[in-house]
Amino acid sequence: MKLFRRDLHSLSGAYALDALDQGAESERFARHLDRCPSCASEVRGFAEVATALALAATTEPPPELRDRVLAAAALTRQLPPEVTSRARSHRARGRARIRVPWVPWLSGVVATAAIVVAVLFGFAQAHTDQELNQARAQNQAIALVLSAPQVKLLTHATTKGGVATVVLAADRHEMVVTTNGLPALPAGKVYQLWLIGTTKTVSAGLLPAATSGQTGPVLASGVVQGDMLGLTVEPAPGTAKPTTTPILSLPLPV
Amino acid sequence: MNPSDSDASRFRSVPTDRRGERDLDDLLIHVARGDQIAFETLYDRLAGPVYGVIRRVLKDPSQSEEVAQEVLLEVWRTAARFNPALGGAATWVMTIAHRRAIDRVRSVTAAADREHKIAEVDTPHDEVAEAVEASLDAERVQRCLGGLTEIQRESITLAYYGGHSYRQVAELLNVTLGAVKTRIRDGLIRMRDCLAVS
Repeated sequence: MKLFRRDLHSLSGAYALDALDQGAESERFARHLDRCPSCASEVRGFAEVATALALAATTEPPPELRDRVLAAAALTRQLPPEVTSRARSHRARGRARIRVPWVPWLSGVVATAAIVVAVLFGFAQAHTDQELNQARAQNQAIALVLSAPQVKLLTHATTKGGVATVVLAADRHEMVVTTNGLPALPAGKVYQLWLIGTTKTVSAGLLPAATSGQTGPVLASGVVQGDMLGLTVEPAPGTAKPTTTPILSLPLPV
Repeated sequence: MNPSDSDASRFRSVPTDRRGERDLDDLLIHVARGDQIAFETLYDRLAGPVYGVIRRVLKDPSQSEEVAQEVLLEVWRTAARFNPALGGAATWVMTIAHRRAIDRVRSVTAAADREHKIAEVDTPHDEVAEAVEASLDAERVQRCLGGLTEIQRESITLAYYGGHSYRQVAELLNVTLGAVKTRIRDGLIRMRDCLAVS
């Protein structure tokens, strides 16, 4: 069916209410919006009216929905901010072109801005080529964890304040740990991470010195079922076994 | 959540209280970074409208709950695609919710509708009365709907709450396609202006 341009304009209302026939007609109008800024603007205004209609229909959902949604979200990988071909089917305002992350291998990153920032610190602190190469290798290993298909994001406060954030890639048996806001330690003391297993406890590395309260990412491998992540304060340069009570014990759902 | 303090903020053209809207935008931006606490807050603010609009379109409670869960999870998953420059967070979320409800209703009823030409439908007026709760926001929407001509109001509510395409609306109201397109558009312009000055 051939429509005159004026007819096409008049579809803006029906489009905003999802009342065009799905498929060709709706897509045709979406393409028209790309070329018609005033139509796109009109549709945005209508979408706000539609939002008011939706809000006027507010109905308390069943209470159990909350737990289900939040639990599912905790296990669901988020999409990175980039444009896909699916954008075509969205409305004008949904077709935003959002800048792709700055480092290509991080484009699959799930995780928190905290970790991304922390990765950058790794580069900033590298002074020699060797350090830079180490930082790069370390970052690539971390990126592999962050971009694993199934990751779990855990955050937990320590008993001394501050928060640990863990990105756990269960199928790789690896995790990345960062912290924020842990209390500063006196000279000669370090924070040490542990994998506390059912039969043995092994060191998972020391937390690096904090920058603006944030510690850079620590990659730990060999996480197995039943492990907990522990964090203790130990005499520098770390110990073979924990000698103090953990300020964090976080079960790792592998 | 107090419904009355977030609603005035939803319209960019409303000069008074825009704080709530910015909060919602901020929340969604934090959700995009994987912030689960922000997502909980967002849930508490928007699960009611999401479930409500889906329920209006689908009617069936268990199907509605299922679609609402899909939508809210989609919000979590695709939060990074939200661009506040192109519209508010509530609108972004409600667009996804309504789309999903429509997808569901059309996939289920498409065949039946073609055969039976939509034999039965709730009357538009009941639809409105049922939709509108005793809140200030809803009252304002109802008042603005009340300012439309009957055919504008029926066209809009049949399309949005009833989940009908404009072709189906034309058939239900026994008017031409051109008339429905125009009535919907004119009605939305009037609603937009009415909501903006309220």
